[in-house]
Parts: sequence; C-alpha cells; structure tokens
Amino acid sequence: MAFWSIVIMLVLVLGAVPVAAVLGVLSLSLDQLYMDGRLSLALGEFVWDKSKEFILVAVPMFILLGEIMLRAGIAQKMYAAVIQWLSWLPGGLMHANIGSSTIFAATSGSSVATAATVGTVAYPEIEKRGYNERLFLGSLAAGGTLGILIPPSINLIIYGLITDTSVPELYLAGIFPGVILAGLFMAVIIVACIARPNWGGQKVETSWGRRLRTLPDLLPPLLLFLVVVGSIYAGIATPTEAASVGVVFACLLAAWTRTLSISMLKAAFEGTMRTTAMIMLIILAAVFLNFILGFIGIAQVIIQAIADMGLTPLETMLIIIGFYLILGMFMETLSMMLTTVPIVFPIIAHLGYDPVWFGIMITVLMETALITPPIGVNLYVVHGIRPTGKFNDVAIGAGPFVAAMLGMIILLLALPDLALWLPGQFY
Amino acid sequence: MLQRLHGALEQISRYAVWCGGAALLAAAVMVTVDVLLRKFFSITMSGSDEISGYVFAAGTTWAYSYCLLHRSNVRIDALYSFLPAPMKAVLDIVGVTLLLGYMALLTDKAIVTFVTSWENGSVSISTLAVPLWIPQLFWVAGLILFIVTLTFVAVYALLSLVTGNLAQVQRVAGVPSMEEGIAEETHGMGIQTRSGGA
Repeated sequence: MAFWSIVIMLVLVLGAVPVAAVLGVLSLSLDQLYMDGRLSLALGEFVWDKSKEFILVAVPMFILLGEIMLRAGIAQKMYAAVIQWLSWLPGGLMHANIGSSTIFAATSGSSVATAATVGTVAYPEIEKRGYNERLFLGSLAAGGTLGILIPPSINLIIYGLITDTSVPELYLAGIFPGVILAGLFMAVIIVACIARPNWGGQKVETSWGRRLRTLPDLLPPLLLFLVVVGSIYAGIATPTEAASVGVVFACLLAAWTRTLSISMLKAAFEGTMRTTAMIMLIILAAVFLNFILGFIGIAQVIIQAIADMGLTPLETMLIIIGFYLILGMFMETLSMMLTTVPIVFPIIAHLGYDPVWFGIMITVLMETALITPPIGVNLYVVHGIRPTGKFNDVAIGAGPFVAAMLGMIILLLALPDLALWLPGQFY
Repeated sequence: MLQRLHGALEQISRYAVWCGGAALLAAAVMVTVDVLLRKFFSITMSGSDEISGYVFAAGTTWAYSYCLLHRSNVRIDALYSFLPAPMKAVLDIVGVTLLLGYMALLTDKAIVTFVTSWENGSVSISTLAVPLWIPQLFWVAGLILFIVTLTFVAVYALLSLVTGNLAQVQRVAGVPSMEEGIAEETHGMGIQTRSGGA
C-alpha cells in the first residue's frame, strides 16, 4: 500500500504533473483501491467545509498585507535607516541587508518577496562601494529566507493547518530562532570580513544625529508588526483577525506614503489571488489526501516500519533532517512541505517530538532549501535582479549562510527551548 | 480564433480576480471593525468571520482560472527541465488533463453539494442562518469557470502539439522559466528583473 502510493506519486511528480493534481489523483486512486471509492463521495462537502474555514482566511490576508506593503514604497527608506544603524560592523552594508530582511520579514510572510524587495534596493551598492559581489549576493538571498521564519509567516500557518498545531504558538516559537539566525548570518559576515578586509567595501558615513533622524522611517514596519503580532499575543485577535487588521493598517500606511491607488490595489489583488489560488488548490488536495491516508492507516504502517529498524528518536530525526536537506536542493519549498508533512508528522509525533518545535525545525529546513542549488528559489530571485553575471556567483556566495543554517539546526536539536521557551510563557 | 478565445478567457479571469481581491479587502475591513468594536466598545458583531469564510471560499475558486492561464500551478521540473521540447509538450498536456480530471470530479461533487443545499433549504448553524446555496453558488461558479478554462487550455495545447507548434504549447501550458516566474511574483512592484518584470 505504502509502496504503491509512493510509486504513483513519484511517477506523477517526475512527470511534472501539477502538484495539486498529483495529490488529487493519488487520493482518488487510494480511495478506489482500498475504500471502494466511498470517501470520494463526500469530496464536495469536505472541500466546501475546508474552503470556508476562518483560520485559513489568514493565508490570503497575510499575502494581501505583504503585497500592499511591498507596493507602499517603505523599503528604500527603511534600508537607508538600517544602514545608519548597522553598517559600522565589519562587512558594512551586508549587515543592513540582513537587518532590513529581518524587519521586512516581520511584515511579510514570503521569502521571495523579502529577497526581491531588499535585493533591488541593495544591489546597486555592490559596485558603488566595492563589495565582494558573491558574499553580498549571498547575504541578500539568505536574509530573504527569514521571511518564512519570523512571523507573520505563511508557511507556519499552513504547517499549523495540516498538523492541527496552534498558529499563535508557532508564531511565538519562530521569533527567537529567527533573530538568532539573523545573528548567525551577521556573524558569518563579520568573520569573513575580518579574514578578508577587502571584501567589506567602503565605510558609510554615520553619526548619532543621522541615526536618530532615520528612526521615523523604521516606524511603519515596526508599528505593523506590533499591530499584527502584538494583537495575537495579547489575546485581542485570532491570527486571521490580526491579519485583517494588518491589511487595513497597511492600506492606511500606503495612503500616508501616497502610494495607494486603484491601479496599485489591482496589482496587489492579482498577486494575492494568484498566490492564494496556487496555494489553496494544493492545500485542499493535501488535506483530502491526509483524510484518506488517515482512513487507510498508512501512517501506522510507516511508523511500524521505522520501529522495526530499531532507531533511536534522535537517529530518526537526523535521517529526516538529512532527507529534507537533500530534497530541498531539488524541490520548491511549499510543495515539499505539503507533500511530505502529512507522512512525516505522525512519525515525529509518535517519537515524542513537540509539534511546535518541529514546525520551527522544518521551517529552517525550508529556508535552507531556498538557498541550496540547483533549485533554490531565493538564489534565482537575487540572480534575477542583476543585469549580468553567473548564477554560480549567487550560489557560492550563499554557501557560508547555508553553514549558518546548519548551525541553527544543530542549536535547535541541542536546545529545543530556543523555540519552545517563549510559547511556554503564554500557554 | 483560439488565440482570441485565450485572450478573452484571460480578461474574464482577470476581472474575476479583481472581484475576489476587492471582496477580500472588504472582508478585511469588516473583520477589523468587528475587532475594534469588540475591544473598545465591547460590542460583538457576530458573523464577520462566517462571511469572510464565504468570501474566501468563493474568491479562491474565482482565481483558479487566472492562476492556470498564468501558468502558476506548482509543478516539479527537476526532471522535466532536462527533457527535449516534444516530450515536455506531451507532459504539459498530460498534466493539464490530469488536473482537469481531478477538478471535474471535484466540481461534480461540489454541484451535488450546492443542489442538495438548495433542495433542502439548508442554512448555516449560526446566528446569521445564511441559506448555504447563496455562497455555494459563487463557489461553484468559480469551479465551473475553472473547468471551462482547463478544457480550453487542454484542447488549445493539444491542437498546438498536433500542428507542431511546440513553442505555443509551452506558452499555453508549459512550466514558466525561473525568470518568468519571478517576474510574475514581483509584478507591479517596480522591481526590474532580467526578464523585464516591471
């Protein structure tokens, strides 16, 4: 049973069949094979119930929020402000890349959007100030990945949905690892630029007076973060409500920066609904597959198979991490998560790992997947911003940051409380 | 002729997406008012969560066609990208046909759900007591538009393959290149990527 589902899935996936259809066809065939097609009879009701679920409304809301913020033109000013605060470190503007990405990640749930936005603003500085191009590009690609770890994160909502884990808890759990990972990225840059001072580019003029004057430019993203994430933690709003309030707040910000217009909203709607349709088509199929897999008891078969191998929980976890690192080189992250989590999660839960902790672990693994070649979406995003140059430059430049992510994975394994302490204070 | 139909469907799906997006924004405003009233005036305006759920369900199906015509459905191209163009074209058509098959079954069951709600006069279990056929009508309409679009894309791609126009199969049903995909994602952001996505 497990064997045939894997064979069907592999053939369809390798045949580049749309992932939603892979999951749909797999569900329908498993249902035919093992349940005489009884479960498919309820497909209409099932999909309707899931489609209107209020917790899922958070997905399009956070996407819309990000789309509006992207078009509100706050990125330029924010970057200039972060330069004033961080560029005294060895490595100069590269720290501003990481810092801006961190702040931007706190208003956006998407890694691609974060890398594209910060990258576009930062790219011209490489030549202007004589930076090492590879490391600079790597810092942009890596910084962008923070978008899915630091709340609000679309990936964490989806993880929460397929595993029945609380999204507010996941959001709380993501904050410290996100900040620590940003810190590790900066440490990589400092070490590299102390070893090779000529990689660090020219100094930027800064002074306390200028720093203080830039503070108002940092205000919009920080306020938005407070409104959205703060209201979830304060218990005022659910994630969906917080996202809705965030959308309204983002519109007000855009109106204040005079970027709000009908054509801007139309572009934001197109982007939002396109991404929403893409994600929901897969989610609905994945949830249905989950339902069928639950009925035919496939998880038990796999758990038994793993138990028979006689591995310790840690060994199993290391195998799973290795599996994701390799898969991540070749697969796009969201579809990777949606196709594997329904199978991997029962194993994790069975071994006694905390679902919230694993949500953070898998998100860091997804971040790694975003910057490991040959298929690393953020590498392509950053590469796409440059007028010329080789793809390899970006991939090589991202290498040291992959090492930082592996460090983060080890930290999470050794100290699960990095993720679990903060949610533990609230729940 | 087919090209004009393609353009017409593209236009319709774009309007559908604007409607869905505008409805979503309206839902956001409604939920925000609800939250503010609850927090500052202790007034509970029940139902905004339920209505935004309906808006979301229908808005999503209304966007499926746009997503398809912009070739934004996620496909794993690890092997695909190394194949020769004719094989890619065949896989493109197999892919869209399988998606059509799955969606046709889903839509069929969705219509049953809608008709059942209509015949039984089912209402939602909430203070609003919304007759379920109303939101389900919008939901099913989007699914039907998607089926029409899927059928059209399958036929268009197949005819292009038969006439040997492989480039057209790629334009209609292929996997967009990484640059095309990123241009789509950063559309309207004023970000210049190499493929010229403004």
